[in-house]
Amino acid sequence: MKIKLVRTGGFIPITKAVETEVNLTDQELNKLLKIIKSGTSSYRVKDANYYELTVGKRSTSVDLEKVPDEYKALFSKLKNDLRIIK
Amino acid sequence: MLKRLMESDNKKVADMAINTNFRNYRFRNDRIFFHKASLYEKTILGLIAKQTGKQTMQMEVYDCKQKTDLTGAILLWDSKKNQKITSVAGKNVIKGGKASWDFYWQLFGRNSIDNNGMLIRQYVHYDKGMDNAYWDGRRMVYGDGDGIVFTSFTSDIDVIGHELTHGVTEHESNLDYEKQAGAMNESFSDIFGIMIKQRFNNQDVKKASWLIGEKVMIGPKYALRSMKAPGTAYINHPELGNDPQPPTMDKYQDLPNTQSGDWGGVHINSGIPNFAFYVTAYNMGGYAWEKAGRIWYAVLTDSSLAQNAKFVDVKNLSIVHAEKIFGINGSEVKTVKQGWSEAKV
Repeated sequence: MKIKLVRTGGFIPITKAVETEVNLTDQELNKLLKIIKSGTSSYRVKDANYYELTVGKRSTSVDLEKVPDEYKALFSKLKNDLRIIK
Repeated sequence: MLKRLMESDNKKVADMAINTNFRNYRFRNDRIFFHKASLYEKTILGLIAKQTGKQTMQMEVYDCKQKTDLTGAILLWDSKKNQKITSVAGKNVIKGGKASWDFYWQLFGRNSIDNNGMLIRQYVHYDKGMDNAYWDGRRMVYGDGDGIVFTSFTSDIDVIGHELTHGVTEHESNLDYEKQAGAMNESFSDIFGIMIKQRFNNQDVKKASWLIGEKVMIGPKYALRSMKAPGTAYINHPELGNDPQPPTMDKYQDLPNTQSGDWGGVHINSGIPNFAFYVTAYNMGGYAWEKAGRIWYAVLTDSSLAQNAKFVDVKNLSIVHAEKIFGINGSEVKTVKQGWSEAKV
């Protein structure tokens, strides 16, 4: 299954993205998305970065602080591989 | 009653009544004037206790050790202890934090972010290769940069002043972080950030580069933003392409009010009020904080500045404050109008 992580926002708004194949079932991905989905807060952090995870046609705003331990290595690599999209 | 006494045949009674009437008139008008006065006006008129120099900055610097868990960060430096540290990023934020606190205190009598001595908390070495800095409502957080396009976000005092000023704005007008109000929020941070840097470096408006984050962006031709010429901070950058900031209102970018749309382009359209400030300050001459800075601080702390203010609201308030500070016929008023006019607001 292909997933895409996109980072936006920041002091200067740049978009970074990375795509990768993961060996996860639909069920596992759905469970993961539920866990890491961003909460709703009325406060907006100034100059913040935002992350969005796309699985298939579904894009979800995610909070990487919520990533469970078993997926930490995957997301660490994804973050490391993010590249600027002009 | 008072009117009858004022017309009394007894000169002593009439004099007293006229005097009372005059004082009543003054008190009434003073009350109205002082009720409407901004924090800055109250400060310069001595209505807020004159800052005596007894206040001291309170600051703590934490090392995130390249992790993202802020609660696990280690205390690196405390203004009460003033430990010696080796971290360059730590030293940078201490220097920038002090310059920012001094700027607000020495020029405007403002005691820290909330004007009530708030502890300044700064977190360095956030995440691995993080190319960003942010204010989360309680603290400033800085990444080390990716080492390719960006170096540490602590490298420039203006970036530190920018983040701290987000806190000041939150404690004042608390401008919405979207569309024009959000771009104004960003612009205030850039304006005060650049003045903090210029003051630290003792640069007048002509000597200054008016570039934000000159050291943060790797490469001598690049900076994060240009206030002098928005849209030229980086051109044909191999990774970033071109700086998207417009300098004038006719080039305003109506972007989606979403995370990926930069909340309506708050970091993009801020180029417009940034340019208005630059033109104003440059034409006034001297040091930016002496005249233009006083006017913009009066606007920033004006209780009538709405959370959803548009550029034109800030323009109008800056003219009002220029008139109050320098007089209706002051050349500064014309200069402020010209600044906004150049930005086509």
